[in-house]
Amino acid sequence: MLTLSHLSKSYSSSRPILQDINFHLNAGEYVAIMGESGTGKSTLLNLMAGLETPDSGSIVIDGHELAQMNDDQATQLRREKMGFVFQAFHVLPHLSVAQNVALPLLLNSVEKQQAQAATMSMLAAVGLADRAHSRPHELSGGEMQRVAIARALVHGPRLLLADEPTGNLDPESADSVMQLLREQIKQSGTTCVLVTHSTRAAATADRVLLLTMQGLIPQGDNVPHTIQS
Amino acid sequence: MQTTALAFTFLLGEFRAHGKRVAIGVIAIAIGVAMGYAVHLINYAASSEFSQAVRSLMGNADLTVRGTRIGFNEQAYPLLARLPEVAVASPVVEIDAHIPQQSEALKIIGIDYFRAQTVQPNMLGHLADENMNEGLDAFHPNALFLSPAALTWLKLKLGDTLAVQVGLEIRQLHIAGTVPAAGAGQRIGVMDIAAAQWRFDRLGLVQRIDLKLRPGVDIAAFQSKIDSILPTGVAAVTPADGERRAANLSRAYRVNLNVLALVALFTGAFLVFSTQVLSVVRRRSQLALLRVLGLTRASLIRWILAEGTLIGVLGSISGLLLGYAVAAAVLDYSGADLGGGYFSGVRPTVHFDIWATVIFFALGLGAALLGSLVPALETARAQPSRALKAGDEENALRRLRSPLPALVLIASAGALCFVGPVNELPIPGYIAIALLLIGSIALMPRLAYAVFSHFPTPTHSASYLAVTQLKGASGRASIGLSGILASFSLMAAMAIMVTSFRVSVDEWLGNMLPAELYMRAAPSGDTAYFSAQDQLIILSTPGIARAEFLRSTHISLDPLRPAITLIARPIDPANPAARLPFIGAVLPSQPLSSTQPITVWASEAAADLHGLVVGKQFMLPLGAHSQSVIVGGIWRDYARQHGALVINLADYRRLTGDERVTEAGMWLQAGTIPAQAVNNLRASLHNNTRLDIAEPGEVRRLSLKIFDRSFTVTYLLEAVAIIVGLFGIAASFGGQALARAREFGMLRHIGVTRRQIGLMLAIEGALLTTLGVLAGLLLGWVIALILIHVVNPQSFHWTMNTHMPWVLLSSVAATLIFAAAITAWLSGRSAMSVQAIRAVRDDW
Amino acid sequence: MKKLFFLLNVLALLPAMVWAAPPLYPAVKPNTALVFPRDHGAHLEHRTEWWYVTGWLETLDGKQLGFQVTFFRTRPNIDQANPSQFSPKQLLFAHAAISDPAQGSLLHDQRGARSGFDLAQASEADTDVRIDQWTLQREPTGRYTTHIQAREFELQLSLQLTQALLLQGDHGYSRKGKNLSQASYYYSQPQLAVSGTITRAGKKITVRGTAWLDHEWSTSVLAQEAVGWDWVGLNLDNGSTLMAFRIRDAAGQTLWASGTLRDTQGRVRALSSQHITFTPTRHWRSPRTATNYPVAMQVQAGDLQLQLEPLMEDQELDSRLSTGAVYWEGAVTALQNGQRVGRGYLELTGYFKPLKF
Repeated sequence: MLTLSHLSKSYSSSRPILQDINFHLNAGEYVAIMGESGTGKSTLLNLMAGLETPDSGSIVIDGHELAQMNDDQATQLRREKMGFVFQAFHVLPHLSVAQNVALPLLLNSVEKQQAQAATMSMLAAVGLADRAHSRPHELSGGEMQRVAIARALVHGPRLLLADEPTGNLDPESADSVMQLLREQIKQSGTTCVLVTHSTRAAATADRVLLLTMQGLIPQGDNVPHTIQS
Repeated sequence: MQTTALAFTFLLGEFRAHGKRVAIGVIAIAIGVAMGYAVHLINYAASSEFSQAVRSLMGNADLTVRGTRIGFNEQAYPLLARLPEVAVASPVVEIDAHIPQQSEALKIIGIDYFRAQTVQPNMLGHLADENMNEGLDAFHPNALFLSPAALTWLKLKLGDTLAVQVGLEIRQLHIAGTVPAAGAGQRIGVMDIAAAQWRFDRLGLVQRIDLKLRPGVDIAAFQSKIDSILPTGVAAVTPADGERRAANLSRAYRVNLNVLALVALFTGAFLVFSTQVLSVVRRRSQLALLRVLGLTRASLIRWILAEGTLIGVLGSISGLLLGYAVAAAVLDYSGADLGGGYFSGVRPTVHFDIWATVIFFALGLGAALLGSLVPALETARAQPSRALKAGDEENALRRLRSPLPALVLIASAGALCFVGPVNELPIPGYIAIALLLIGSIALMPRLAYAVFSHFPTPTHSASYLAVTQLKGASGRASIGLSGILASFSLMAAMAIMVTSFRVSVDEWLGNMLPAELYMRAAPSGDTAYFSAQDQLIILSTPGIARAEFLRSTHISLDPLRPAITLIARPIDPANPAARLPFIGAVLPSQPLSSTQPITVWASEAAADLHGLVVGKQFMLPLGAHSQSVIVGGIWRDYARQHGALVINLADYRRLTGDERVTEAGMWLQAGTIPAQAVNNLRASLHNNTRLDIAEPGEVRRLSLKIFDRSFTVTYLLEAVAIIVGLFGIAASFGGQALARAREFGMLRHIGVTRRQIGLMLAIEGALLTTLGVLAGLLLGWVIALILIHVVNPQSFHWTMNTHMPWVLLSSVAATLIFAAAITAWLSGRSAMSVQAIRAVRDDW
Repeated sequence: MKKLFFLLNVLALLPAMVWAAPPLYPAVKPNTALVFPRDHGAHLEHRTEWWYVTGWLETLDGKQLGFQVTFFRTRPNIDQANPSQFSPKQLLFAHAAISDPAQGSLLHDQRGARSGFDLAQASEADTDVRIDQWTLQREPTGRYTTHIQAREFELQLSLQLTQALLLQGDHGYSRKGKNLSQASYYYSQPQLAVSGTITRAGKKITVRGTAWLDHEWSTSVLAQEAVGWDWVGLNLDNGSTLMAFRIRDAAGQTLWASGTLRDTQGRVRALSSQHITFTPTRHWRSPRTATNYPVAMQVQAGDLQLQLEPLMEDQELDSRLSTGAVYWEGAVTALQNGQRVGRGYLELTGYFKPLKF
């Protein structure tokens, strides 16, 4: 599903951020990448999203070579095959909850009724069916991140990229958000890369990798556990 | 202490990071201040030179006795001189002499040197080198003394001769010396009074008698004492009255220009407001953090005001420098006459005026502070904890939205339109326009909400995003909207007013120029005329079927006001409307009898300024006599702002015995082409070049050219309003784009292309500007109505019909919408760099 | 032919300077009998004319003052065709001055006006000249009255005849140079008894004294090389009178001198150039104009020798605002052997700048 080979990236002439990264992810796999600040986690995520281009190496997503794509092609790929969850939620304040969730469907020109149905079922899935017409400022942080998860998955992406999704949440909300995330990806069979500092969050992943100067190092066999609420 | 340091860092950081937007604010204030300051300096220089001229002409006089432009009987001189209260009486003859090849007339003062020594010492001529004036002294009938400014203007030196036109004849005057004490900018000539009377055919008449009273005489009491012995139309005024009268000449014009300049400053203030609001909104969470960290509400307000102060100070200083340079350049290149034609005969230079400088500095600073105050107060009022949350920006703006104050402002604007002028200036009208503008701007968020919330949501993704943004964030949108509204409405108002005026003038010219050929004795001054003999020659010139003669002169109905023009021309008493564009009722023709008053027809300005209504009787001073007259009708006149009276030429001749005329309108015999008639006229009047002959088409073209020239400043201000409007759009979209960097970042993540974001912004800009332009058009139309029906009649005493310049308005509107779309699109580009993608990671 | 063209060109430039009617001034001729009272009046055809009153006054408390009241008339060289009522066909000027040693310099005022509008006038019938409120009039009885309302003082004087009129020169024909036309018509009224009031600073004081009146009219007076004159008119205490003048050239040499001495019996002796000498004995330099005036003189007139001493040194009169001259016109005492024998006025002109006529 996702294969990174000999991936290197550096900014200007300074030391390389990423050097010769090799990594493969099977379809439906859920992996957490941890690492100290400054090791290039965000850069790695941007490369996987096609928002930055690698200096060398290849990124193959679902058979598409991302590294060779121009901005428009990468954007198109993101639109169809990827979903994003951010630390700061990034829910548009002037749109309702439902409108926020429906954004990817709009971008993918999904027919209106179909889109509405998908949105409603997605909202129901994240437990916010009754908040469809609320405005973001009326929601709590946990609820906001649920909206973001719904938006990330509503169009059935192949790959979900989550960047520290619990960073702005209290531990209780964080646990429930992570549980929801895992449930949803496993249900839809979406491949997921989670970048986080939180071992508690990482613990929900199938595998945990540590990004160091030497590359991605597997952290033994992680037994994914279900967090009881 | 520490907070100050922190604030300083904070301020500097903001300026460094968003220097361009700060610069826009500075430029906007600078433009406003520069325009206002330059217009003021030019007008100030002109009018102070003008009143300086009046003052030095009146010299040490305690009182000036003056009457009509033709003058009054010189026998008043011994009468006044013998009064026991009078120390010295100095008689003066004033002539506006036409100099061939010069468009402006030369003012020539005829004085009695012996009397002027004590009363008008500045007017004394200084005889040049004796060798140059062999046998010539100050009393020589051809001896003329010129002020230094007049010598420079006419490119003459001592000993030269100067040709002046009297009637159709050219007379040579000898430059015998200078008038060294005349003001630096004054173009005048001085002659002996007897020589002036003789050389300019003014025997028996003087224009003025200046009086120096004995010490201890009560001037006011003496003034009223002599009023009873002076003939009608002749009155004694103090030098202060004289200056006021000179200032009155151009006051309305100057005030109008200053108001236009203030409009530019207002738009500048608005621009500062919109940049400051956006900058504050963008930094909302930063400011909230500072509040959390312990910055007090008051110091937060001070910080934001400090930013406004810096913008204001920078803008004001550069504006003052720019304005001074512009004023100096304008005075240097084109003279003080900004097109209004009020300041001929003086050549002033720019003078530094400390008070004006202080006031315009304060205005610029005040505008910037005012622009910062609203956002400062709002930010300080916000709850820091809430403001820290993303998405609260819209709340901040929503609070600006309460319709009641706006509606009160608009209602008071409406009421002010019905208040009369204050001190003869349309102050309430101007205030009404300001209130209407502020009220409408305050209503913009509500309008934006009302319009966009009912706007159908499109399905196309970029338009969907644009429309939902406008719907959801109408408060923020309304800032840009208000900028467009302010600039477009002002531009539209000026354009509608000027077009209405221009079309009305054009129509009026058609009405006023019924003949096929027009001839003037000279284009300037009051010394040229056609004698009775000349008139017979004109009538018998081959090709001329008939001719109507016109005598134009000036009379004073009120010594405190500028003289009005008396036009004597043939009027059919049965049908005066054939020659005059009447407004309202016209009296039926009066039976001709010696006991009945003679009918005169007053222009709108004469009616307004002198309280004349149809049917009113009053005494009209005509030369040495005065005559009972009745107002037969009010006609529209755009040419004479201080008023005009039309009297039948036959009546005028009977009453004054004055056979001379100044203009002739001629109808041609069938088959005669105008050029041929012109040649015949030149040939029969033995005077080939000096006659000013034109066809109505030419007169019309020339008049409209003069009209356009006098509105140059207005056109310039329209352009400035549009530029400021575009600046406003750029500032508001630039600010928004930066404030929305995180939104763009997220959208890019979820698969929105750069082009789509650009398109989204362009659609937002176009929609917003379209709404702004439509609202601006409506507001501009209302402001134009106020200008046309309140401000113009009150300042210039003439009315006009409304005409819409649709082509101009729609092309400017289209340009604005297009420019806004481009600007919005461009502003998005900077927000979509890599930095913008990082924005999703920034919490702030 | 070429010459003619040139001439025509010059003429074409001239019209601006050529007048329709230049003034014609009658010449002063000998053997013209003066007829009174007509000749007390103005002679408007002549170029210049003046009535000159000078004298000594004494206040009730015995203070000595000098006074001078002068009316000039001139007929300027202007176009007589100008029909304007303001046409300056006659110009009138007046000077009035008081010499008060307590003051140190002259109290002085002047007036100028064109005649006309009944505001400034010189009558042809009898002495009656005035500019606004300044007047000098002769009554049929022969008494003169003058009223001067000056800036710093007011004079109201009556001048009574005590002696017969004195025709100067040859029966009133007074030569001023070698050329016969360099002459004026000139008569004097010496030994006039003055009474009246002077008002200064709001205080009116009664004065009396002795005065001298000159009336002189002419057209062309001075020779080309003349720069000024010294003139003296003295009322001697014994009732006799002396008038003497000399015309000076640029070197200070006498071009012409003349005088008249009338003795106590009324016998008149005309003095010609060789009988008259003026010898300066003391100069005074004006601090204002830096002009040196011989304010004290030794005068020899026939066999009469007199020392003239000024009432005060600074009696300079600056009339540049009216007639244009700067001169010294002052009260003097005539002394013989250090004893006062008479009083009068000394006039010194042409010391500041050559006088122009």
